[in-house]
Order: sequence, then structure tokens, then C-alpha cells
Amino acid sequence: MKPVLKLENISSFIGPFHILQGVSLEVRPGEAVVVLGRNGAGKTTTLRSIMGLVKPAAGVLELEDQSLFGLPSHKIARLGLGYVPEDYGIFNLLSVEENLRLAAWRQDNATKERQEYILQLFPDLKAAYRRLASTLSGGQRQMLSIGRALLNENKVILIDEPSKGLAPIVVEKVCKALLEVKKNTNIILVEQNFNLACAVGDRFYILNDGRTVLDGGIASLAKDRELQKRYLGVVA
Amino acid sequence: MKTPAVIKLVTAGAKDRKQFVAGSAVALIAAAFLLMLPGFAGHATISLFSRIFILAVFGMSYDILRGFTGVINLGHAVFFGSGTYLAGILFLRLDPTPGTLLLAVIVTVVYCSAAAFIMGKIAFRGGGVIACAMITLALGEIVRHLAETWRDVTMGADGLTFPIPYMFRDRLLFYYYALLFLILMVIVLRRFVLSPTGRVLLAIRENEQRAIFLGYNTTTYKMISLQVGGISAGLSGVMFALLTRFANTELLTIQQTLNALLVTIVGGTGTLYGAIVGTAFVQLIQHYLLTLRDVHPVFTRWLLFFGSIYILVVLYMPAGIVGAYRQLADLLSSRNKKKIA
Repeated sequence: MKPVLKLENISSFIGPFHILQGVSLEVRPGEAVVVLGRNGAGKTTTLRSIMGLVKPAAGVLELEDQSLFGLPSHKIARLGLGYVPEDYGIFNLLSVEENLRLAAWRQDNATKERQEYILQLFPDLKAAYRRLASTLSGGQRQMLSIGRALLNENKVILIDEPSKGLAPIVVEKVCKALLEVKKNTNIILVEQNFNLACAVGDRFYILNDGRTVLDGGIASLAKDRELQKRYLGVVA
Repeated sequence: MKTPAVIKLVTAGAKDRKQFVAGSAVALIAAAFLLMLPGFAGHATISLFSRIFILAVFGMSYDILRGFTGVINLGHAVFFGSGTYLAGILFLRLDPTPGTLLLAVIVTVVYCSAAAFIMGKIAFRGGGVIACAMITLALGEIVRHLAETWRDVTMGADGLTFPIPYMFRDRLLFYYYALLFLILMVIVLRRFVLSPTGRVLLAIRENEQRAIFLGYNTTTYKMISLQVGGISAGLSGVMFALLTRFANTELLTIQQTLNALLVTIVGGTGTLYGAIVGTAFVQLIQHYLLTLRDVHPVFTRWLLFFGSIYILVVLYMPAGIVGAYRQLADLLSSRNKKKIA
């Protein structure tokens, strides 16, 4: 099956530091891919390289056969990549409504329907619709951030550590939402919470020192304690 | 949590009905006062207020850049001074008629638009806020130097005195023209900052990278902001020409830009109305301190008092006068809500 998004031997620098030294992964249609690895493995930089926020120095980066290499970030986003960064990336000075409106590229019926869907998916956002984003809780911010990425017809949504800093009950809500999102959109999920990763993901890629070292079906990883311990530090 | 002043203007949903009524009442009282002012004020006061109206538009034009987009343009006086010069040169070379004024407005709009385009293309190349400030400062100085050396047209540092159309010579009538100009510009600029483009500018001000990964070409939006700010400043320059009937290179210096920056800081950045309040505050204090010079010799050092007032405002009202007023209104409103609860 032809991948929607393909990364092949991506190499990226941040300043003088060679962070990604050969990351390869692909997202196939209808798939949620989980990117795992210890702190500093290059997971966030991988997402930022896909979005063009860190310019890749070498490799292949394609979205449905179109090269993203060298394109400015705003063009990459418009080609159909939604990004949910670790720090949520919402605008505190704007209301929930305005954050959503700002994210929508069109104001047509399809967008309105998607907005309705988002508000159904995240009832908390509906309740806080007119409130400033700065007054939202961590969980609500995460919902707004994910909701914003769903507002356009994105081909792939890149989500960076959605469970970070959230209470377990909120993580559960986020997990349910991601399972719902997965039905309509391809996802690349960077996640430290192994249980959440297993619940949402279909396949995994493990990064180590800026390289893809392993990939496969998430079910096989969930069973393999030794592998989890070696690459992810997961202790049973 | 304190609500940033800018939100009150932009977030329709956050509007409190009581605050809206209070704001409308203040605006009505101010409008009634300004309409009746010429009935009881002298010529000097009328001219002072005409000056306030025009410089307030210059302040608002700077607020579009600094307060709403987060761009520091240290060459903003180029637009203002050029508007004054272009009007003056045309009045001098052609007949000082309303037709020439219309031509001056058109030429100023075209010139400021082109100048903003060139300035933006150079300044927004991705070097960050400081690089942008330094580049615009240098560009401003280049224009000032050109104006100073092109004596045949600008009369250099001596300045240019010129006639103006007959209908603008009456100070009382001009007061109303300047007031009308201010009202029109408030309507236009308010619509602009409340538009979807205005919201993108706010997003850029808060975090440019976030706006980029949402799919916005932030350079284009900053260019739009510079165009709107530049053209507004140019138009205020044309009105300034009608007020002073004189142009010199002082109008193109960084001091002129800093004046705009200071009035927006004093009034409240990112509020639009703050520039009006700030300009009125600064001009009235300046005028008052100047008159006190005759009362006591200490007031010959009026700049010292002026500087102290600036420092006090910046230290104790970091959100500016309009921002402080809104914070106070928020505080009272939340206390009332608590009492009711």
C-alpha cells in the first residue's frame, strides 16, 4: 500500500548538533503510527522536521509523492499536515472560538460540520467556547490543540506527547478522543506513555540517538518485555 | 487572572454588557465635549487639539505594527514625514487647491505603500525583531539623509514653508476636519484589527511560529500590517502638513518614531484607543508644563518633569492608561460578581 507520508534517512541539525542521523518511517492510509524512544532520541525533532520547523539537511520527505523538502512550514501545513505540539501551541490571547476560527482555512459548510464534530468530541470546549484560551486547564488546552488540527481536511496529524503533564483521568479522555480521531485521519503520535501509545497506535517506530532502530506492529511490541526494557526503559 | 487589554477590543465573546455601555457612555461624553470645545476654548487650545487628533492617528498607525503585530519599526517616521513633505511639495509646485490635496493624498498612499513594500521586503527577511528594528532604523536614516541633501526639493534642514488650500486655513473649521479624520481612521483601523487578518496579526504577535504551522505565511501578514500602518501614518502626515504648513527633516527622524512609540506605551499598546489617550496625555502635559515655564524658572527644565512622568507611567501602569482602566473595570466587575454569588 502506498504510504501517505514517507521519511527516508532524514538528517537534521539544530545549530551545530546533528540531532537526526537517519530517521525513516512511513504512514500508510488509515494508520496511526507511534514514534517511541527515550528522552533525547529525536522524536520531537522528527515531527518538527516534517513540519519544516527544523529544516532537514538530507533525506527524502514526501507527502503523497510530493516532496516537502525545502518547502516553508506554512506551505507544508496547507498541503495537509496538522501539528499538535507538546506545548499545545494555542493562542492564549484569543478565545477558544477565535483559536478554532484562526485554524480554519475555509469558512465553508464542511468546516462548520467539522467544527460541530470537534465540539461534540470535546464537550469541554463547547462549554468554554467564549473563554480566553489562557483560562483553560491543561486538558482543555490539549483538546483545543487537537481540535484545531481536525478543523481542516488534514492528511496526517502529528501529535507530540498529548498526555504530558495531564492527570490520569484527563489522559483517558484524550485517549478516547484520539481513538475517535483515528477513524478519519492518519496520525503520527509521539508518546512516552506506553499504555496510551499501545491503545492508539497500529504500528510503531523506535528511535535511538536520532536513528530509526526498530519498527513493527504495536501488538508485538506490547508483548515483548525485553524490547520494551531495552529501548524504552519500560519496567514491568 | 489579568485580561490583556487587547482582548477587550478583539474578543467579541468576552465583551461585558456593562463595560460596553460604560465605554459607549465615555465615548459619547468625549464626543460631546470635543464637538463643543471650540465654543469655549481659545485658538491655541483648538490648534492643540487639532494636533492631538492628527498625532493620535500617527500613534494608532504605530500601534497596528507594535501592539497588534509585534513588529518594532524604528523607521516609521518615514511615512509620516513623507506625507507632510509630499503634500507640501505639491502645494508649492501646483496650486494649493482641494484638487491638489486629493492628488497629495493619492501620491502619499502610493508612495507609502511602495515604501512599506520595500521596507518590509528588506526588514522581514527572517532576522528577528531586533534585526527588523535595526534595518528599519537604517532605512529611516537613509530617507532622512536623502531629504536633507535633496535641497532643491525639500529645502534641506531649513525646512519647507508652503501654502494650503483656502478651505483649511480657518483654524476652527480645520479642528472639525481633524476630528472627522480621527473618527474615520478609528473606524477603518478598528475594522481592520477586528477582521480575520487582524486576528492573524494578533496570533503572530503572540507566537509567530505557531501561526506558521497553522499554515499562515506570516511575512505576508506582516507586510499587510506595515502597509496599513504606513499608509495611515502617511495620511496623518498630510493632515499635519495642513496644520503646520511647514515641513522639515525633523519629521523623518527616529525621535518622531519614538514619540509614536511613547504615546502607545503611555496609552496602552495593542488597544488602538490607547494611542489616542496617550497622545492627548503627552500633548496636554507638554503644553501645561510649557505654560508653567513662565510661573517658575524650575519649569524651564520641563523635560525633566516630562521624563519623570513617563517613567512613573511605565513603572506603575505597564498596560498603559487604557489597559489600567480596563484592568480596574475587570477587577470591579469580578468583585461585583463575587458579591452577587
